[in-house]
Amino acid sequence: MNENELIKLILQGESDKFRIFVEKYRQMVFRTCMGFVHNKEDADDLTQEVFIQAYRSLPDFKMKSAFSTWLYRIAVNASLNKVRRSGRISFIDRIESLFGSDSPGAGQLFDTDDPENIIIKKEHSQWLQRALDSLPEKQRTAIVLSKYDDLSQKEIAEIMKTSEGAVEALLHRAKKNLREKLSGRIPKKNK
Amino acid sequence: MISFVSNHKSQLKMNCQLCQEILEAYQEGKLPAGMMTQLESHLETCDSCKKLSEIQLLANRVIKLEKETDSDPFLATRVMAHIERLEDERLETSSLGVRILRPALITMSLAAAVLFGIMLGNLSRPAGNAGMVPVEFALINDASLESVDFLSLE
Repeated sequence: MNENELIKLILQGESDKFRIFVEKYRQMVFRTCMGFVHNKEDADDLTQEVFIQAYRSLPDFKMKSAFSTWLYRIAVNASLNKVRRSGRISFIDRIESLFGSDSPGAGQLFDTDDPENIIIKKEHSQWLQRALDSLPEKQRTAIVLSKYDDLSQKEIAEIMKTSEGAVEALLHRAKKNLREKLSGRIPKKNK
Repeated sequence: MISFVSNHKSQLKMNCQLCQEILEAYQEGKLPAGMMTQLESHLETCDSCKKLSEIQLLANRVIKLEKETDSDPFLATRVMAHIERLEDERLETSSLGVRILRPALITMSLAAAVLFGIMLGNLSRPAGNAGMVPVEFALINDASLESVDFLSLE
């Protein structure tokens, strides 16, 4: 049974079939949300919100694009709304969730045991996330879909309803902006 | 960028700007061998490019870590429970409408039945001079009839 047939069944009242979509796409949606909010709890809540919104909007799904493309759009919009609502997300919270002692992935990030080195690197990664968050929304969306979801420029263009050339330009500008922001952290050479 | 580098590698002279442009390709192992050697020797001599390279590597690791984070394994259950509640609310709303409409419909059908009964009763009455005074009544001379007033005198 293909996805469009499944959607028809759900619309006819078999709402429990929606679980198939949730199971199939939960990690995909979660990754996208994570790229915007950088916090597991927030990304989990946001993922739930995205699926509920998708279920409610299912009668409006025209089946002109793939279900995943439509879902990506909902995820991106919900994430951007969340970021706009919460303003500047607390970086302290974010870093704590990433590097806190109870975080399962904390130990994987750094190879060194040197505490001073860890602190310096923590500061850098904190700064990286701040740099990502400071990008304009379109550049940020393009870079999240490219880096977090490993999507091609064509797929990103379809999700963002724009041309491949525009996505290429957005990615180029985003990377340049990030590089400039990251370079700003590096002390200038003594002349 | 990579194709540009491949096509022009003989003419390109490594400097900070070029190094920073191609760092990502280098870290992804997509640079031609000659270019890679040039970039590596530049990184050995240039502190700022070396630090940028380290920060970019770190950035990639942060992204990798976030990407590898697993979502809530009970997410589907949570979503489906929410959807079930939504469906229940929807059904409740529609049954609320039925609860209000049902008495009104019963009253209306009772009234219609009574009205129909009356109409049916009227149809079964004999047609003709109902309510009209027979012609013979005009011919009766009631002057000779005994008055009943005296009966009340007693």
